[in-house]
Amino acid sequence: MDIKAYIESGVIESYVLGMAESQEAAELEQLSRQYPEIKQAIDEFEAALEKQSLAAAIAPPAGVKEALFSSLESEFKKDRSQGQVASINWGRYLAAASVILLVVSSALNIYFYNQFKSTSTAYQSLLAEKNTLIAENQNTQTKVLDLYNSMQMMSDPTVIKISMTGIAGKENNLATVFWDSKSKDVYLLPNKLPDAGANKQYQLWAIVDGKPVDAGVMGTCAGLCKMKNIPNASMFAITLEKKGGSATPTMDQMYVAGKVG
Amino acid sequence: MEVVKKYSETELVQLLQQRSGNVFSYLYDNYSGALYSVILNVVNEEELANDVLQEVFVKIWKQIDSYDSSKGRLFTWMLNIARNASIDMVRSKGFQNSRQNRELSEDVYSAGGTSETKTDQIGLRKVVYSLKEEYRVLVELSYFQGYTQDEIAKMLNIPLGTVKTRLRTALIQLREIIKP
Repeated sequence: MDIKAYIESGVIESYVLGMAESQEAAELEQLSRQYPEIKQAIDEFEAALEKQSLAAAIAPPAGVKEALFSSLESEFKKDRSQGQVASINWGRYLAAASVILLVVSSALNIYFYNQFKSTSTAYQSLLAEKNTLIAENQNTQTKVLDLYNSMQMMSDPTVIKISMTGIAGKENNLATVFWDSKSKDVYLLPNKLPDAGANKQYQLWAIVDGKPVDAGVMGTCAGLCKMKNIPNASMFAITLEKKGGSATPTMDQMYVAGKVG
Repeated sequence: MEVVKKYSETELVQLLQQRSGNVFSYLYDNYSGALYSVILNVVNEEELANDVLQEVFVKIWKQIDSYDSSKGRLFTWMLNIARNASIDMVRSKGFQNSRQNRELSEDVYSAGGTSETKTDQIGLRKVVYSLKEEYRVLVELSYFQGYTQDEIAKMLNIPLGTVKTRLRTALIQLREIIKP
């Protein structure tokens, strides 16, 4: 086959320009795979045609590109702005994440602050409770000690016990005086006396030579109340007096009385 | 127009097949002028040429997967799409009406005075106009109007063999003109 003649026949140009009949085109494609010279001739004409066309280019109106790209916009989208979309999303995610973190952090702050406050309150109340318990415990210990001392004192053989029973009209009242015959100290046990009231106090009297002597007022005491030292007495009695006691007993307010011996 | 190539043809095709809008924009910027020139050669009316150009690029975008680099350059493929789309447009009913059913011979032989003469002076058609008339007519009918050699033989009342021979000679001359 005369390749040179074939190349110079114009069939290549016809093919490249899209004017060749389909049979001619198929033949040329076949031959171009067999003969590099034919392939090269095709390439050269294509290159020349492209160069000539580019040199003869006429810029189309700008509107054409705009219309074209807006009609294909949806197809570019995924591709064109992929990086941008990703970065926008990334930024949005970051912003959203930071807002969420802020909210969570604020919520935790509030939660922990409330926890702290309630724990602190609970601690303070426990502390107060503990102090109260300690105080109560000390009171109880003091009472126990007083009772123990009272018991020791009552069982002492030198101590005389004087039972003061209720006088006429107040029979169900009872009080006891423990009188140390050596030290002359007087202790009072209010076995059964009605409540003195806010502004009154029971007062112990020692009857010495037929006259009442103040033996002290009864405060709030655990077990025995230590009264005044009485050297000598034939009788003891209790009257209800104004707070702080009186100089002389109010006779109609006598509750209990008992003779010594 | 001097084209500064940023992409090799292989890269261009690959990126277009990956649906890259940026590369499609690059393709448009670099080749729309060359294709527009050919479209104008065939269509002769600017407004219609604009439509064809848009249609051509839509086709390029949609059909890039069917481009086979073993069969030729990307530009050759695009140029053929542009030429075929232009001829289809000219042949469409609406366009023929707009041409007011002018006689074929008028188109072929009139050298001046009609609305399409301006596009004779641009692009490939300008090159064709430098050929001898007996060749020029054949290229006109065949390349720019898309008639088959058989149709041309009947139209001009010359033997098919003559049409074939003259056309090939015309194309060889054309090649010699555009050869670098």
